[in-house]
Amino acid sequence: MLKAIRRFFGEKASSQMARQRMQVVLMHDRMDIAPDIMEALKNDIIAVLSRYMEIDKRTIQVDLEQGKNYTALISNVQIKRVYRHSMST
Amino acid sequence: MTGKTIVVTSGKGGVGKTTTVANIGTVLAKKKYSVVMIDADIGLRNLDVVMGLENRIVYNLVDIIEGKCRKQQAMIRDRKLHNLYIIPAAQTREKTSVTPDQMKDLCAELAEEFDYVIIDCPAGIEQGFKNAVAGAQTAIVVTTPEVSAIRDADRVIGLLEAGLLKDIHLIINRLNHRMVKKGDMMSTEDIISLLAVPLLGVVPESEEVVISTNRGTPLVHDRGSKAGVAFQQIAARLNGEDIALDMEQKVTIMDRMKRFIWS
Ligand SMILES: Nc1ncnc2c1ncn2[C@@H]1O[C@H](COP(=O)(O)OP(=O)(O)OP(=O)(O)O)[C@@H](O)[C@H]1O
Ligand SMILES: [Mg+2]
Repeated sequence: MLKAIRRFFGEKASSQMARQRMQVVLMHDRMDIAPDIMEALKNDIIAVLSRYMEIDKRTIQVDLEQGKNYTALISNVQIKRVYRHSMST
Repeated sequence: MTGKTIVVTSGKGGVGKTTTVANIGTVLAKKKYSVVMIDADIGLRNLDVVMGLENRIVYNLVDIIEGKCRKQQAMIRDRKLHNLYIIPAAQTREKTSVTPDQMKDLCAELAEEFDYVIIDCPAGIEQGFKNAVAGAQTAIVVTTPEVSAIRDADRVIGLLEAGLLKDIHLIINRLNHRMVKKGDMMSTEDIISLLAVPLLGVVPESEEVVISTNRGTPLVHDRGSKAGVAFQQIAARLNGEDIALDMEQKVTIMDRMKRFIWS
């Protein structure tokens, strides 16, 4: 009964908390096991961006950022020059 | 004849690998397939007691590998089913007394003689795990609806895929429907969406499992048990039979309304 009251005031079901926690944990575990995938992702991002702009490849950073209820992929890269539209494919 | 070689693994200990091997093996043997189950948990053998065959052991897996006996001498025939055998693990040896290559060869030889070779993997991801998965074409990953078991299952799935074992299936064991309904346990859907591996079946938490283990008689011999039915369906699906996944785990409209009210 107490639990029902707590739920009524917005406490999450524990199964929901477990699921959300696992989503984050597994994402981090998988990235950890596969640094080569992170490297491949970085290279793919460079390839895509390079179609539209000239970037400084050495400056690229790709990280997972953990917020309270989200996980984000944050990538930072310095742009040297943006191509005119006609150059993009 | 080339049989299927299947490893049952989990990462985390105590989630139900041995129980799964014993029950799936028994069901397939009841379907008239020839089945051999290998206890690859060297040093912590258990499949023999779960099958009620502990009194018949003379030779073991390591004896075969070391050439101390022929394969047939170490295979113990089931009490009820004459086409079902186990190869017990050595109890007083190290996991390192077997190599992955030796296991691969043994599994290949056994697959020539049997329709199904089912390997009971030890917990963990070290040498014992590597030995157990070396000779398998298919892996069954067992998990329970708990965070630690799921995390370990995910790790194991990653290792299997990295080792090029891509035919991976999931069993969720010890699901408590009552707790799922109350929102106190992750549901089948939750777990599948996290692990992203095809589901072979869900086994409910059940006292019958403990009782059948006490007796040394796999649950599937007993017709009335829910967990037994779950294992029968799992084995049938593994055997390629088209059996719809249990509808019990489907959330009813009532459940949704309750959850809506409580959340
Ligand atoms: N569905 C279930 N309901 C209730 N108890 C269960 C269920 N499945 C397994 N158990 C119990 O859990 C315990 C562990 O099961 P089991 O030995 O099959 O796990 P395991 O994964 O092989 O363990 P280990 O990692 O030590 O080899 C046993 O006591 C068993 O009876
Ligand atoms: Mg076991």
